[in-house]
Amino acid sequence: MKNSRNILLIAFGFLVVSLAAGRRAQATLGESSDSIASDQKALSAVQRATTARKDYTVQEIQSDSTFIREYISPTGVVFGIAWNGLTRPDLTSLLGSYAAEYKEALRQTPRKPGHRRSSVVHTNRIIVEQWGHIRNMQGRAYAPALIPPGLSVDEIK
Amino acid sequence: MLVTNCGGGGSGGGSGSSSGSGNGVGVLPTGNNVLSLTVNGSLCSSNPANNYINEPCVSVTVCSPGTSTCQTIDDILLDTGDVGLRIFKQVLTVPLTAVTEGANPIAECVPYLDTTSNWGPIETADVVLGNEPAVSVPIQVIDSTFPGAPTACQNPNQDPTDAGFNGSLGLDFILQDCGLGCVNSIPSPPWYYSCNGSSCSGTTVALADQVQNPVALLPEDNNGVIVEIPGISSGGTPSVNGALVLGIGTQSNNTPSGVTAYDADPGSGDFITVIGNVAYGSFIDSGSNGLFFPPPSSTSLPTCASPDSDWFCPSSTKTLSATNIGASGSPSGTVSFQIGNFDSLLNSPNNVFADIGGPNPGEFDWGLPFFFGRKVYIGIEGLKSGLGTGPYWAY
Repeated sequence: MKNSRNILLIAFGFLVVSLAAGRRAQATLGESSDSIASDQKALSAVQRATTARKDYTVQEIQSDSTFIREYISPTGVVFGIAWNGLTRPDLTSLLGSYAAEYKEALRQTPRKPGHRRSSVVHTNRIIVEQWGHIRNMQGRAYAPALIPPGLSVDEIK
Repeated sequence: MLVTNCGGGGSGGGSGSSSGSGNGVGVLPTGNNVLSLTVNGSLCSSNPANNYINEPCVSVTVCSPGTSTCQTIDDILLDTGDVGLRIFKQVLTVPLTAVTEGANPIAECVPYLDTTSNWGPIETADVVLGNEPAVSVPIQVIDSTFPGAPTACQNPNQDPTDAGFNGSLGLDFILQDCGLGCVNSIPSPPWYYSCNGSSCSGTTVALADQVQNPVALLPEDNNGVIVEIPGISSGGTPSVNGALVLGIGTQSNNTPSGVTAYDADPGSGDFITVIGNVAYGSFIDSGSNGLFFPPPSSTSLPTCASPDSDWFCPSSTKTLSATNIGASGSPSGTVSFQIGNFDSLLNSPNNVFADIGGPNPGEFDWGLPFFFGRKVYIGIEGLKSGLGTGPYWAY
């Protein structure tokens, strides 16, 4: 019980921060599930399916030949996103308020010769994992602090 | 330059021990359909600052279309996880013909997961592989200064020293890099761009104008390739010489024997690998310089300390096995491999290693170590050989 209240407080805190930023958030990760509609618009994506699972809900949107799945907690906050397709989606849009720290972490990641096919980037608050090769780019991004208690991160796929 | 190695059959401590028999790499073939290949050897640039270990290099000849004005370019990375020929603008000395949409040149953005990307215009060249006839094919001229780079290409490869190669030859089993997904619609974000001055916007491109597999355009020897690299010893070696053979079952030097074909899914380009009782999408890739996979919980494979945390550093060399399965569900076969301590192995004058690997968050990537001591056949989509119809890998 305490954990869900803490998560609700954190999620509310993120909502307040994004509203205070004074512009309509394009974001999804860490935001309420309402923001998925703005992702669809930003990514020219269409809604495909909503699936309720035991401890979370998955909303799937499709942008051309890329599929995106947004994982929503019982409190209505997107705690994880996964994708696969011909191209990888615009992460700036999907990572929202986390995009800046992701870009900075990338900037500090040295080039890795011979490692063209996978990457893992940690920031203070999120983890972004990517893998794949031509025609099939896959990945996921999640905020560990927002994952519903007891849920394995492997559910985000 | 001859390099001492374990020779064919993957014997001794070398990797490449395979469940199949008779697929060792013996004497390297010769012929019009054969390209030399060196892993960190004479065909690669000697650029120790770049630290590119397990780098497979070939040489290609590029000519101005319809002419015999040609140049031979070495230090071309053989990347079977990509498709098409990409060459740095700084290296090209022969004029090529821009691929355009009306008056606008077409350019392409290809991001990779090593934090880099390739940005630059598409141009038609006559490409000569080995001693085969020239083929007219669109290639990507890698040019970070080409105006209009999109957000997805904000960290483009700038020059050969920076990248560790003069270009790359992509020989995945697909025909074009984007394919049908770029013909009638524009992916988000786009692959191809139509550029007007410094302003580029996403565009569709016909299959014939896309960067594509040059082998498939050959008059003969066009249904696939075989990569042959001898086995090496477990401590590594400074370099090793191999061969890239064009065609499968089209000449006396490329007839398959003692190998099993594993079909790949035509959409994802993956087959299946099971390790630690978990099944993953998987692929065989010369552009990855290690075996990259999610470590099974049953084997202790800690990662090395920074800055090598992309590699495994077990306290002693571990032997693991995985099962590969065709995308359709069969056939299946076990592959045994070893993972040694990356930091210990690199503390040597060697540049080529069989027993190195690292974590991959979602797939099993059979990188270059998989190729040592076994012939790897790559069958191009839709094209037939005695091994079946592509896409498939056989080994």
